[in-house]
Amino acid sequence: MLLLVSTSAPSPVWTRWSRDLLFHLAGCVTATFGLVLWCTLVPLSLGLAITFFGLVVAVASLLACRWFARVERRRAAIVLGAPIAERYAPAPDARWTARLRALLGDATTWRDFAWTGLAGVVALPLSGLAVTLWGLVAGFVTLPAWYWTLPDAADVGVWEIGSLPRALAVAVVGVILVPVTGYLVRGLTIVEVEIMRWILTPRRDDTPADEGAPAVPGDATPGRVLALPLSLHVSFALLICTVVGIIWIATGFGHYFWPIWVWLPLGLTVAIGVVVVRAQEAPPSQTRALRAHGEFWVAISAFLVSIWLVAGAGTFWPFFAILSFAIIWAVHAIFALRDRLPLGAREQQLAERVDVLTRTRRGALDVQAAELRRIERDLHDGAQARLVSLTMQLGRAEERVADQPELAALLRGAREDAGLAIAELRDLARGIAPPILADRGLAAAIEALGRRSAIPVTVDADPDQRPLPVVETAAYFVVAEALTNVAKHAGGAAARVRVLRAGDDLVVEIADDGPGGANPAGGGLTGLRHRVEALDGTLTVTSPPGGGTTIRAELPCGP
Amino acid sequence: MRAVIVEDSVLLREGIVALLRENGIDVVAQAEDGPGLERIVSGHKPDVAICDVRLPPTFSDEGLRAAIEARKRHPGLGVLILSQYVEPVYTAELLASGEAGVGYLLKERVGDVRGFIEAVERVAAGGTALDREVVAELMRARLAGGADDGAIAALTPREREVLELMAEGRSNAAVARALVVSGGAVEKHVRNIFGKLDLPASDDDHRRVLAVLAFLRAGAA
Repeated sequence: MLLLVSTSAPSPVWTRWSRDLLFHLAGCVTATFGLVLWCTLVPLSLGLAITFFGLVVAVASLLACRWFARVERRRAAIVLGAPIAERYAPAPDARWTARLRALLGDATTWRDFAWTGLAGVVALPLSGLAVTLWGLVAGFVTLPAWYWTLPDAADVGVWEIGSLPRALAVAVVGVILVPVTGYLVRGLTIVEVEIMRWILTPRRDDTPADEGAPAVPGDATPGRVLALPLSLHVSFALLICTVVGIIWIATGFGHYFWPIWVWLPLGLTVAIGVVVVRAQEAPPSQTRALRAHGEFWVAISAFLVSIWLVAGAGTFWPFFAILSFAIIWAVHAIFALRDRLPLGAREQQLAERVDVLTRTRRGALDVQAAELRRIERDLHDGAQARLVSLTMQLGRAEERVADQPELAALLRGAREDAGLAIAELRDLARGIAPPILADRGLAAAIEALGRRSAIPVTVDADPDQRPLPVVETAAYFVVAEALTNVAKHAGGAAARVRVLRAGDDLVVEIADDGPGGANPAGGGLTGLRHRVEALDGTLTVTSPPGGGTTIRAELPCGP
Repeated sequence: MRAVIVEDSVLLREGIVALLRENGIDVVAQAEDGPGLERIVSGHKPDVAICDVRLPPTFSDEGLRAAIEARKRHPGLGVLILSQYVEPVYTAELLASGEAGVGYLLKERVGDVRGFIEAVERVAAGGTALDREVVAELMRARLAGGADDGAIAALTPREREVLELMAEGRSNAAVARALVVSGGAVEKHVRNIFGKLDLPASDDDHRRVLAVLAFLRAGAA
């Protein structure tokens, strides 16, 4: 449970419990608000979708969700000590369409949207339960002060309270229940705040443009961190279920089975906890999101159906809720799995053809890269070695005819020509397969490029990166060409080269602080683009006038 | 003087051996791979080892690694690296690997017999022999790295020439010969250079070379 305490020294138990209570009190208010927000604005946007006004309302809803999520991140600070990290993509200073695209393309927007919807079904029951528990305990403890205001023979909980001794007895029970409640609420807090963190914390892969940002706490701690709170949660839930069951047996066995109203919501929170843990344990993917989403709706539907059964199984009212869940999930599924929808015969043929072409092109490129390295080695061991040997023999001959200046001059001329041929072969070999790349790998080769460049270059590359030779060579030449361009067009500028992995891609980025305004269709850049695109990669050039130039190549290195 | 050679191409190895013997250098052993270097160096205790960068079995920078290792194990051994390429990273590693004589030359420099023999002798005697391409790379890195405070820019073109020749490892007398000027003129240039670069003055050629190299590498690192 200390997982949640961000400071190293654990705070006193009372501070923690009062913070938990404050967190849940605030949660009752904000979650209700979130629920209202989601339940009004979403249907409103959908209802107005066919008019332009629908778009306006949809954007307004998303902005409202963002605002709500920011409040919620700060609410988590009550127990975490610091708000949950937030990282919105910067809003471009451009036309409203670009701003809109940035808003819709920002994963954080959708995290916020999801939490706004979930607040009502996750935070509200959890926080509501927590506040109710503390309310009951407070009622018990203070009962001697106000029991006389109760009408005759009123019951508090399960006993009839009519006299001071009885009220005092209840107060004693209340005092005993304080630590129990404290720990129970602690468990509820952990579940709620972990779900909040899971949904609201930005991930590295949210915005690939920004890997430089510091890792978010909690980022690298999937699955197992949640498993402990989950088992605590389950044991607390079982404990409460048993306690209310015993109370029912002791007080009104055979009468209406009211504990079911405790069991069902607790069961729902446990089910949601299980869904969250399962999702955290799987590697991030579209399928995982879809599965977690589906399981979540199934849990809620099961809850609703159980209520329907317990409440007498009349008209099957959960139908409408389940139908809307199914529609939401189906829309998600279509978006997530649209690549896997069954194809027509023609499309099937084309898809197979694309597969074959992709494979063979990749194979051809691999062969070509290996071939180039072989040519480089042949040059080194063959022509270059012979020319060096020739130079040497010419030099020795020159020494022997030192007394015949004319002959010596002739030999020296021949030797110098051979030297030029060697230099030309060297440049050629370096151009097809730079030896340092084969010897030392990409990071070292790029470092070497940086040193050789006529401008100051800082390099940030992971030396353990050893992608396939063909990818490595492409990355190397992107950097080489880009640095040459910077030196040529942005004299006096400094450049920064970054090489990193983003998922299955190798990302190479060269940024300079020169005058910008580069022409993306320029000769050098087009050549680079072809090299990158042959590997199914993308090359983007950002070069606003006066704002420096950034060239970014993303090269797939997946299987 | 006793030398050993490590080179996998028979053609080149035989040629260099002949060249060295003609010029009175005793080639005591030959090898063709990295482990071979260690074997003949510990077996024959030569003054200098001449070694190709690219050697079997990996055909990458095997020779360089073996040479650096040998320099560490045998203090006092001069190491002269021959390569088809100038690679500043390799030069920097080599220079950082020990105090004794060290050299890095492009292979075609063996054609300039007198220059090559001079370089071998210098390295064997504990001096330095760097290819002019290596020096040019160091100079470029110093200027581009942003570390230079304008000291190099303050040099006259002639002083820069002298600086580059010194960085190759040449003595004052050799610099004078190369530029076809008097020894006194070179002395004067050297004094000016050391003044402008704020380097400690010294009468010893070798120390001066080391000071110049340290200055250039400070910007390149």
